Amino acid sequence: MNLLQYRIKTLYKYQDLIKELVGRDLKLKYRRSFLGYVWSILNPLLTMIVLTIVFSELLGKKIENYPVFLLTGRMLYDFLKVSTTNAMKSVTGNAPLLRKVYVPKYIFTLSKVTSSMVDMVFSLAALLIVMVATGARFHWQMLLTPLVVIQIYLFCCGLGFFLAQLNVFFRDIQHIYSVVLTAWLYLTPIMYDVERLPMEWLRIGVKVFNPLYYYVAQFRDLVYYGRFPGPRIFWGGWIMAFLMLFIGTWSFQRTKDKFILYI
Amino acid sequence: MSGYEEAGCEYLLRGRDDAAGAHLEERMSEYAIEVENLKIRFNLASEKVDNLKEYAIKLAKHQLMFQEFLALQDVSFKIKKGESWGLVGANGSGKSTLLKTISGILKPYEGSVKVRGNIAPLIELGAGFDGNLTARENIYLNGLVLGHSRAFMEEHFDEIVEFANLKKFLDSPIKNFSSGMKARLGFAVATMVNPDILIVDEVLEVGDMRFRRRCNERMQQMMAGGTTLLYVSHNIESVKSLCENAVWLDGGKVRMIGSAEEVCDTYKAEQERLMRQKKEERREKLRAARKKYDYLIVGAGLYGAVCACELTKRGKRCLVIDRRSHIGGNVYTENRDGIQVHKYGAHIFHTSNKAVWKYVNKLAEFNNYINSPVAVYRDELYNLPFNMNTFSRMWGLKKPQEVKDKIAEQIAELGITEPANLEEQALSLVGTDVYEKLIKGYTEKQWGRDCKDLPAFIIRRLPLRFTYDNNYFNDRYQGIPIGGYTGIIEKLLDNIDVMLETDFFEYRKENPDMFDKVIYTGMIDEYFDYCYGHLEYRTVRFETERIEEPNFQGNAVVNYTEREIPYTRIIEHKHFEPDEEREHPKDYTYISREYSAEWKPGIEPYYPVNDEKNSALYEKYRELAEKEKNVLFGGRLGQYKYYDMDKVIEAALAAVEEELRFH
Repeated sequence: MNLLQYRIKTLYKYQDLIKELVGRDLKLKYRRSFLGYVWSILNPLLTMIVLTIVFSELLGKKIENYPVFLLTGRMLYDFLKVSTTNAMKSVTGNAPLLRKVYVPKYIFTLSKVTSSMVDMVFSLAALLIVMVATGARFHWQMLLTPLVVIQIYLFCCGLGFFLAQLNVFFRDIQHIYSVVLTAWLYLTPIMYDVERLPMEWLRIGVKVFNPLYYYVAQFRDLVYYGRFPGPRIFWGGWIMAFLMLFIGTWSFQRTKDKFILYI
Repeated sequence: MSGYEEAGCEYLLRGRDDAAGAHLEERMSEYAIEVENLKIRFNLASEKVDNLKEYAIKLAKHQLMFQEFLALQDVSFKIKKGESWGLVGANGSGKSTLLKTISGILKPYEGSVKVRGNIAPLIELGAGFDGNLTARENIYLNGLVLGHSRAFMEEHFDEIVEFANLKKFLDSPIKNFSSGMKARLGFAVATMVNPDILIVDEVLEVGDMRFRRRCNERMQQMMAGGTTLLYVSHNIESVKSLCENAVWLDGGKVRMIGSAEEVCDTYKAEQERLMRQKKEERREKLRAARKKYDYLIVGAGLYGAVCACELTKRGKRCLVIDRRSHIGGNVYTENRDGIQVHKYGAHIFHTSNKAVWKYVNKLAEFNNYINSPVAVYRDELYNLPFNMNTFSRMWGLKKPQEVKDKIAEQIAELGITEPANLEEQALSLVGTDVYEKLIKGYTEKQWGRDCKDLPAFIIRRLPLRFTYDNNYFNDRYQGIPIGGYTGIIEKLLDNIDVMLETDFFEYRKENPDMFDKVIYTGMIDEYFDYCYGHLEYRTVRFETERIEEPNFQGNAVVNYTEREIPYTRIIEHKHFEPDEEREHPKDYTYISREYSAEWKPGIEPYYPVNDEKNSALYEKYRELAEKEKNVLFGGRLGQYKYYDMDKVIEAALAAVEEELRFH
């Protein structure tokens, strides 16, 4: 119990550092670019337009308001991709610092995921713009989206910790993970409707074992369909999040003292 | 859990586990750092395996062997609160590993480290600076990395900027900063808090003198405030001056613990012994290999060292020998209790030759010492060289024209037309007052006879300066190498074989085939066995003495112009390096009284006497020298010529150039 208390104390002590690191990431991302933060909105918007043009005939024929459908899935996937990829490199990337000053190492992983989350929250504006532009209906259930954001944030933190510690010992994971991400993109119903997956085993597989499905489905329920998510995906989402967080922190905790010898 | 948790908190943790009396007592413990049987192990994989494929292959073949490498073992010591400790040891002896373990970056493999209080680790200044962020942003970031809160940083922001002296650059990205600026900023942030424990790892060797001095002041200040210091440096002197105690690490083990003085001295002696041993081995090897040298350089003074360095640079093999037990010839400076003593008289480097100035600056950092001696005559004190300060003190005159008139008047009164001796010569140049007070006694002491008995030509002209300028030299560049001249010679002779306490004539007899050519910087008449008789020299003798007061005379050079005082001048060596004295004030000083002495064969020769008789004699030797095959004569004694240091370097460089042009 003392250990937990102590951990929370440390986290509290370094909270300003996390804030500063998040601020730095956001600041540096757009420093010297002409449009700056607007890119956080413009980027998903433009990607969405390209995807809509390419896929609306092919995959979205029977989907009403395909741009909003696409964007609700794509935003979460982008967050997962960017946050975990950055988190993976957070320990190795700060090696020069970690070799010289004592800082709890998870701070860097945590701040990377957090800055990606802030970025995603910005890009919610893009979603609103598209909804207005396409004349989509607004539902009051949308106000519950923070619940989904928290779930996926915890999930990404866990995955980030796991990848960050693995990357210290095996740099190959970077390459492997980029392949995993591509597969993940296509195995998640982002550009298509899950019910249209041809094989039943695949459909069930996605619905049960793909964690991202839980978040995308919840998010779509709230924003796109305007209804409460079913209890299976709602509680499933929380369980997935905490399970991943546990795996991540446990593996990170187990190996963190050896990092210094390998970075 | 291993013996160590997050920095500085392991103790707190345990303390809360069991708040019983025993632990409370421990918290009140007088020790700031306790290291017990510390062992740090690195896994040095025989090859670096950092990808899956290799890992799988090695695993399959059972080749995943790790070599154990113990960076530290059986290290135990306790540091009381408020003490200052130094860590010494060769490269790779585990000093940095130990510091990192104490600051929590590394965890003990076995044993334990207990730390009470917060640590300011100065392991690398500005670690964690982000080049793309501005200085302002980096100050915050760096402070937060060190574990401060934002509010704390805001509170101390101005103080940090003030100390780092970077107000103007606050909003430019730090990647545009020089390393010195970064170091300044890093130090300012790291020392903002008054930490309980300060850990310093050679970071202060960067930056300019002023910054180093300020850092030292800051550290002294903190120590005075009860901060415990742990200090690592290669500079033994700074460890001695900053620390009370020291630990000597050797190959990851504690070799010695004790007072800084004792440990440092033993360490230094050991180092020197190892170096000597290495040198001896190398020499032995050379002897065994019967290596032949292109050049045998006789005399490890400035001329010989420059020649050796330049020839070696051009691919020639050189051996330098010297009769003395040290290198450097007369420019040799000896470190005595932290003061560089100019053992063979004051050496002040001055030149107008830019190339030479650049050349020496590559060998050492020079301070901005300017030579402005003073002369004492009875109870009067005058500035030298003769300038308006001197004259106004002497006659109370202020304007140059008044002084010129006064001197002209004194000269006219004497009515000397044909000066018959030195006295009349000097009088006809400067008039009565200056001569009587500042020239007469001094010159008589220098030459050991009356001015009336000295030939007029010794003084051809006496420069009088009609400005208020006390700078003795007219040269553009002037200074003294920080840390003494010996360092310059060491650098020149780096990687060149040197044999000290070796007499040339004996060496030549024993090893006639070891060298092709000789560069001889000894006495030219001695080389030819005095076949035409002895050349004469003016020589000086020094009586060096340690005096237990911080400042003996307030100036590096004070001339005594009365004949009744036996010495000609007193040199107080610490004033040659005023920066060093400001940085490390000492309550003792070294002075050398300089006496002129009659030269007899066998006594150390200093200045050639370029009178008619000796010049003619030298001319005869020079003719012999020209006939001598494969021997070059150079330097003050080899060419029987008074040389300033810059001229020696010029001459040596020219000689090497000349030599290599034809060969």
